[in-house]
Amino acid sequence: MIFFNVIRVVAWKDLLCEMRSRETISSMFFFALIVILVFSFSFSMDQQAARELIAGILWVAFAFTGIIGLGKSFSAELQNDCLEYLQMSPAPKGAIYLGKVAANLLFIVTAEVILFPMFVIFFNLDVVEDLPVLLLIFFLATLGLSTVGTLFSAMTVQIRAREVMLPILLLPLAVPVMIAAVEATRGALNGNPLALYRHWIELLVVFDVVFTVVSFWVVELILDS
Amino acid sequence: MVAIRGLHISKSYGHYRILEDLSFEIAAGECYALFGPNGAGKTTLLRILATLHRPSAGRLEILGRDAIQEREVVREALLLLAHGSHLYDELNAVENLSFAMALRAASPTDREVKVALDQVGIGAFAELKVRYFSAGMKKRLAMAKAILAHPKVLLLDEPYTSLDETGMVIMNRYIQALLKEGASVVMATHDRIKSAEVADRAGVLTHGVLRPLTREDLKTCDLF
Amino acid sequence: MLNTIIRKLQRYKGWFGAAGGLCLGLGLYYGLVASPPDYYQGEVVRIMYVHVPLAHTSLLAYTVLFLGSLWYLWTRDPVVDNLCHAAAGLSVFFTAVALITGSIWAKPTWNTWWTWDARLVSFAVLFLILAGYLMLRTFIDDPEREARYAAVLAIVGFIDLPIVHFSVEWWRTLHQPLSISMRGVSISKEILIPLVLMGIGFSILFVYMLIVRTQMLYLSSLLNAKKGRLLSQVHLAKVEP
Repeated sequence: MIFFNVIRVVAWKDLLCEMRSRETISSMFFFALIVILVFSFSFSMDQQAARELIAGILWVAFAFTGIIGLGKSFSAELQNDCLEYLQMSPAPKGAIYLGKVAANLLFIVTAEVILFPMFVIFFNLDVVEDLPVLLLIFFLATLGLSTVGTLFSAMTVQIRAREVMLPILLLPLAVPVMIAAVEATRGALNGNPLALYRHWIELLVVFDVVFTVVSFWVVELILDS
Repeated sequence: MVAIRGLHISKSYGHYRILEDLSFEIAAGECYALFGPNGAGKTTLLRILATLHRPSAGRLEILGRDAIQEREVVREALLLLAHGSHLYDELNAVENLSFAMALRAASPTDREVKVALDQVGIGAFAELKVRYFSAGMKKRLAMAKAILAHPKVLLLDEPYTSLDETGMVIMNRYIQALLKEGASVVMATHDRIKSAEVADRAGVLTHGVLRPLTREDLKTCDLF
Repeated sequence: MLNTIIRKLQRYKGWFGAAGGLCLGLGLYYGLVASPPDYYQGEVVRIMYVHVPLAHTSLLAYTVLFLGSLWYLWTRDPVVDNLCHAAAGLSVFFTAVALITGSIWAKPTWNTWWTWDARLVSFAVLFLILAGYLMLRTFIDDPEREARYAAVLAIVGFIDLPIVHFSVEWWRTLHQPLSISMRGVSISKEILIPLVLMGIGFSILFVYMLIVRTQMLYLSSLLNAKKGRLLSQVHLAKVEP
C-alpha cells in the first residue's frame, strides 16, 4: 500500500514539476526537431528511400531524445540535494525507481507522439490504419529504454562526467531494443501484416519484463549506501 | 536510554581518512553539539548517522537497532536537515511538505501543515513556489518538515546558518520542544552561543578524534 | 576466504604461467606447423587457432566478472572487487584481440573486414559494455561506491548479452544469410588438437594473469590506504602560520 503510494507520489511530483517548468519536454522536442532536419539534409530522399530509412531515423531521433529526458530525470534531483532526501527516506527504493520510470515513460512517449506527425509531414508518409500498432511499439520500446535508462540515470548522476556516461552505458545495452523497435516500426510503416513482425514486438516485451525485474532488483544498490 | 551508539566508527573516502575510530553514546532526550574546524568530518559523521554513508569500519546502533542491517526501520525515526534544503523549486511550500511526508508514509492534515508553517513564520508563503524563497525561508520550511515528521532522532547540519534572529529563536524553541518529547538531537555547528542554549553535551572533532567539552568550555576556551 | 585462496594460489602462480605457456607453445606448433592447411580456407584457417580460443577466454573472463560481481555484492569484500576489476580488464583485452583476429580472418575468407553477424555484433557490444565498465570505474572517487556500481553494471550487462545475441541473429536471418558458415564443416582431428590445446592454454594463461592482476590491484589499494592521511590534519597543516 505504502509502496504504491510512493510510486504514485514520485511520478506525480515529477509530472507537476515538468508541467510548471516544461524543461524536459521542450528540450527533447526541439532537439528531436533538429535531428529530423539534419537527417533530411543529409539524405535527399524520394518516397521509396524514405520508406526504407524512416524507421531507423525515427529511432535514432527517439533514442537520443530519450537520453536527454532520462538524464534530466535524476539530475533534477541534484537541485537542493533532493537526491539525498530520497536516499535517506524510509520509502522503498524500488518504489521510487518505478515512479521515476513511469514519469520518464510518460514524458518520452509524449514527446514521441508530438514528434511523429512531424516525421509524417517531412518524409511524406501515409500511416493511418497502423497507428495503434505503432503506438504500441513506441510504448514498449520506450519502456525498454526507460527501465535501463532510469537505472543508469540514477547511477551516473552520482559520478563525474555524468552527461557522457549515460549514453555510453545505456546504448550498448539497448541494442536489442533499437533493433526490435526499428524492425517493428518498419514493418508497421510498410503496412506489412502483423504476423511478419510480431516476433519483434514479443522481443520488446521480453526485454521490458527482464529489465524491469532486474533493474528493480538492483536499484537499491545504486540509490542506497 | 541510549538512542545512538557508535562503536569504533571510521570512514575513508578515496585516499583520505575522514574519521578514525570514533565511539560515542547519545541518550534519548539529549542534545549533542558537534564542533570542529572545516574539513574535520562533522558532515560526514552526520551523514553516517543519517544512514547516507556506510562506515568503513565499526558499528552504529540507533534506537537499539543496527543502522546498517535494519536501515529501513531506523530511517523511519531519523531526519537530517542538511546544507541542501531538500526542496523542489517548482513546488510550493505545501506541496513540498506533503511530498516529503508521503515518502515517510505520513499524511498530515491541512490544519497540521498550516500550524507547522505558522510556527516557523512562513504561513503567508504557503502557496508560493520555493523557487522564490530566500535561503533563510528555505531553512524555515525545512524546519516545518521536521515539525511534521516527529523524528526520534534529529540530525542538524549547521542549523543556524542563514537564519535571522527570530529564525534562530524558533529553531531553539523547536529543539527544546522536541527534546521534551524524548527525541535526541545531534547538531554540527559553529555557533557556540546559540547552541549552548539547547545543548546538553558538546564535543570537538579534530584529527578524526572526538573530544568531550563541558558547558564551561563552550563559553570560554579556544576550542580547536 | 578469498584472501586465503588467493594467497595459496599466488604461491603457485608460476606453475600456472608455465603450464599455460607450455600449452600455448604446443598448440602453436600443432596449429602452425604440424596441421595441414584447410581444404576450403587454405593457410588462413590457422588464425582460427588463436581467434576461437581468445573469444572463448573473453567469455570465460566475463563469466568470472559476473560471478565475482554477485559475490562482491554478497560479501562486500574489497579483494573480490579487485578480482572483478582484474577480470574486466582482461576480458576487454581478450575481446579486443578476438575482434581484431576475427577481422583479419574474415577479410580473405568472407572478403570483408566486418559483417553484421550475430557473434560479431555480440562481441562488439561486449567490448563496449566492458569499456564502459572500465570508464565508469575511473569516474568514481569512493572505492566502495565504485565497486558497487561496477558490480551492478557487470550483472546487468551479463544478462543483456544473450538478448543482444538473439536479436542480432533474428535481424540477420531476416536480411541475408551468411555466405560462409563454419556449420557443416566437420572438424577433423588435425584441427581439433591445436584448438583444444590453445583453448586450455589461454584459459590457464587467463587464470595466471587474473591472479597477478588481482594481487597488483590489491597491493595498490593497500598503498593508497597507507598514503591516505586524515583530511583534517592535511587541512590544518596548510592553515598554520
